[in-house]
Amino acid sequence: MTTLLPPRPPAASDHPAKGHPVRPGRARLNRPGVAWTLPATVFFLLFAVIPLIAVVVLSFMTWTGLGDPKFVGMENWQELAGDPVMLKSLWLSLLFIVLGVATQTPVSILLGVWAAGPQRNRAVLSAIFFLPLLLSSAAISVLWRALLDPNFGVPAQFRWLFGDGNLFGHQPTAIGVIIFVGMWQFTPFHTLIYQGAAKSVPPVLYQAAEVDGAGRARQFFSITLPQLRNSIITSVILMVVGGLTTFETVLILTNGGPGTDTTITAFYMFEEAFRRYNFGMGSAIAVVLVVVATAISLVMVKLSGYDKMRSTMEGV
Amino acid sequence: MNKPSLRTPVLAAASTLALGLTLAGCGGGGESASSDRPENEVHVLVYGDASNDVETAMVDRFNETSDVKVVLDTIPGADYQQKLQTVMSTDAAPDIFFNWGGGSISNFVDADLLMPLDDFIEEDPQLKDAFLPSVFDVATVDGTPYGIPMRGTQPVMLFNNKEVLASVGITESPKTWDDLLAAVDKLKAAGKTPIALGGGDEWPTQMWFSYVYDRVAGPELFQTALDGDTSVWDSEESREALGKLRDLVDSGAFGTNFQSVKFTDGGSPALLAGGQAGFELMGSWEYSTIRDTNPDFVATNLGWSTFPEIEGGKGDAANLVGNTNNYYSVLKDTRYPDTVRDFLKLMYSDEFVEAQMATGNLPTTTSTEQFLDQATNPEYARYQFELVQDAPNFQLSWDQAYPPAATPTIHSAVADFFAGSIDEDGFISAMQSLKK
Repeated sequence: MTTLLPPRPPAASDHPAKGHPVRPGRARLNRPGVAWTLPATVFFLLFAVIPLIAVVVLSFMTWTGLGDPKFVGMENWQELAGDPVMLKSLWLSLLFIVLGVATQTPVSILLGVWAAGPQRNRAVLSAIFFLPLLLSSAAISVLWRALLDPNFGVPAQFRWLFGDGNLFGHQPTAIGVIIFVGMWQFTPFHTLIYQGAAKSVPPVLYQAAEVDGAGRARQFFSITLPQLRNSIITSVILMVVGGLTTFETVLILTNGGPGTDTTITAFYMFEEAFRRYNFGMGSAIAVVLVVVATAISLVMVKLSGYDKMRSTMEGV
Repeated sequence: MNKPSLRTPVLAAASTLALGLTLAGCGGGGESASSDRPENEVHVLVYGDASNDVETAMVDRFNETSDVKVVLDTIPGADYQQKLQTVMSTDAAPDIFFNWGGGSISNFVDADLLMPLDDFIEEDPQLKDAFLPSVFDVATVDGTPYGIPMRGTQPVMLFNNKEVLASVGITESPKTWDDLLAAVDKLKAAGKTPIALGGGDEWPTQMWFSYVYDRVAGPELFQTALDGDTSVWDSEESREALGKLRDLVDSGAFGTNFQSVKFTDGGSPALLAGGQAGFELMGSWEYSTIRDTNPDFVATNLGWSTFPEIEGGKGDAANLVGNTNNYYSVLKDTRYPDTVRDFLKLMYSDEFVEAQMATGNLPTTTSTEQFLDQATNPEYARYQFELVQDAPNFQLSWDQAYPPAATPTIHSAVADFFAGSIDEDGFISAMQSLKK
């Protein structure tokens, strides 16, 4: 848990003098008491911990939503272990995450750095560019579904590019459409992160680089990109979390189809729980999703050194 | 972390326990539901759409004379089944609710939540006799009736664009499978999509399976499978039906991009109405769907016929497939069974039939015939009514005949088979995996 909390800048009062262990709650300590965390703790228990426990318990039961749940032991888990769709859905979820990060990150870094520049037109363009994020995912998906209709949409106008326009009928193109729509919607958000980060790079670094004769490309790779390090990690973590929970886009654009070719884990969970009324199985899938998500974020935090939060301001 | 935090796990455990006990308490409360049910009120839950006008009018009429008042609740759109499933085992369960008969109520029957309607029918035989038998029987589970028809019937028919057919020299709707194949070839040669199909929705694809299986093997095959003998999916007839479907898809009858087309967003009906396609197999709602967007086309060029006969097949060419009707089923725990029975009697009244006809629905009472001339399009209404009246068998849509748990499997199987990503064996094993 502690690794997910925002870093606290070290303050003088936080360092207890050597040999004098400080007990919490002492009035002379100039920091808020534990009581202040009570509301957050209660909400966290109520809306995160308890439901999580309930889901784990439910994964060992069978329940259609009618009557009382019945305990069935490992039945759901055994069925899930031998379920080809489950494995396929996990691969698809990982693929969605990798493709999402790979398409959104370069574009949003470039756009973010560009938008961090001083000219006025950039501010206006950035504002326009930000619009997709203001629309709901459901509305965006309905919009793109209509735009990509093979007979009446864009593909009908550009046969040389789209062929017969059967974008939703093949796995690669169906995945491509979902990735593209996700990119269209979320790149502005990540651009915003990079814009903020790029603006906070001290100009003195660029001035020094210019004196040393570094060109724009060299400045980008040697100054901007390293300085964006923590923002990249933040942004990628958000993309991974977003990728794992992608749902409405898939529901509206492809409905998990063709067949089960775009049935990612989150969608599969919905389908089991709310279309088959198999809440036990749905819960088991949810537990798998929680475990996978936790594993991914732990690995990312470790690999990126995010837990140590090295400052990007070193050497300034 | 600080010392007080040690208490947190204890606190969490305590509150979890408390919540668990509360939930257990709720579960126990459901047992004695009738005493908890509202006084002097009977709740009727229906799918929220344009037909609610008729239902509101019926409720108002009923409340004029009844001491126990009927309250109409609606749940809009596609979430109906999900939300119904959620409220049914709570104290907020409706006394009377809308459903599709067949598998859509079998879960509730298994959970012992529904009232068998035998006693009502014994007291008032009209509750059964006033309805067309092929329709009434669909809400019968294991020989016991659980539903009274309450809206309009929706047989699936083969719609066509008369102008497009005429332009390639087809003057008559296809009567046989070979006629259909010949028409497909002519339309394809003329550069049209022979048959519009909203494959993205998957259930329109299922209609082709329902009809071809019915015509080739007769209604018995599906009924046997539904009753639990899944070996019939691997029969010779089943493979023959699949072979016919394979040939049709491979001949290019549906074009190549049908998987990206939807009925629900207006894609496939627009192909038919816009003259890009010759046929579409669709429920009777096709008429009102297209009338909303293309009234001129409906008035002049929309044609309709039954699904063609398949030579050598066992199924009667007069058999129908579709949504037979919607039904009102009754909660076992209802507090006012007499009020419920009296309300259900309205479903065969003349006022009800007239009101349904005025909204474009085709009720399934035996008296409907007298009112056909008052329909928006009497010719269309009469055609449909005669189809339903004369049908030896009216097969409920596969995904409604099975319990809801089967729907995703059926839909994936029909879509995958049409796309060619599974073969006959794949389809057969998918259908065999379904549980009743």
